[in-house]
Amino acid sequence: MSVCASTTPASRRYLLRFGSTMASYIVLFALAENAFRHHHPTGVGAIALALGPALAIVASIGVVGLYLTEEQDEFQQMLFVRSILWGIGLTLAFTTTRGFLELFTPIDRFPLYAVYPVFWMIVGLTQGAHSWYYRSRNE
Amino acid sequence: MNNRLRVLRAERKWSQQDLADRLEVSRQSVNAIETGKYDPSLPLAFKLARLFSTSIEAIFVEGS
Repeated sequence: MSVCASTTPASRRYLLRFGSTMASYIVLFALAENAFRHHHPTGVGAIALALGPALAIVASIGVVGLYLTEEQDEFQQMLFVRSILWGIGLTLAFTTTRGFLELFTPIDRFPLYAVYPVFWMIVGLTQGAHSWYYRSRNE
Repeated sequence: MNNRLRVLRAERKWSQQDLADRLEVSRQSVNAIETGKYDPSLPLAFKLARLFSTSIEAIFVEGS
């Protein structure tokens, strides 16, 4: 994978930061889930709890931007940008297609909070493909 | 774009990792440039030329 397989200082910082935001996401999501299941919060408290996991997601997008500005290895930077573009394009294609299916057929609604994991799944697959295409032997 | 990177590197008995360390890039990047899968930017091409004490034209040759 472009970021995971490389060992540039920027990629190491990226993995650490991204991991932190994802850990925050899990904690905030679990907190919100627990609070809504057992305490049924309302008003501003409910909104704040619901927005918690989303803030972690927004922070992770900031981490991606930071990586792109810090990465000095132009090839790794290009691979990462390509993966992100594939992720954006295919996620838009998937959600739009799904939207039309939901509009005209009795298919279940796709949860919007799952769009971001879908995006990263596609980015991960693209990085795997890049890793295979640009695989380097130890010479 | 064709290049003579592998030859120049072999003349100095450098591994891809050695060259990557000198260029401050990943080994994957050196491999991609050597195999012609990636054409470096002008700054990186100048860095390569300086490292091998030659000109950019002596490293990179136009053509597929």
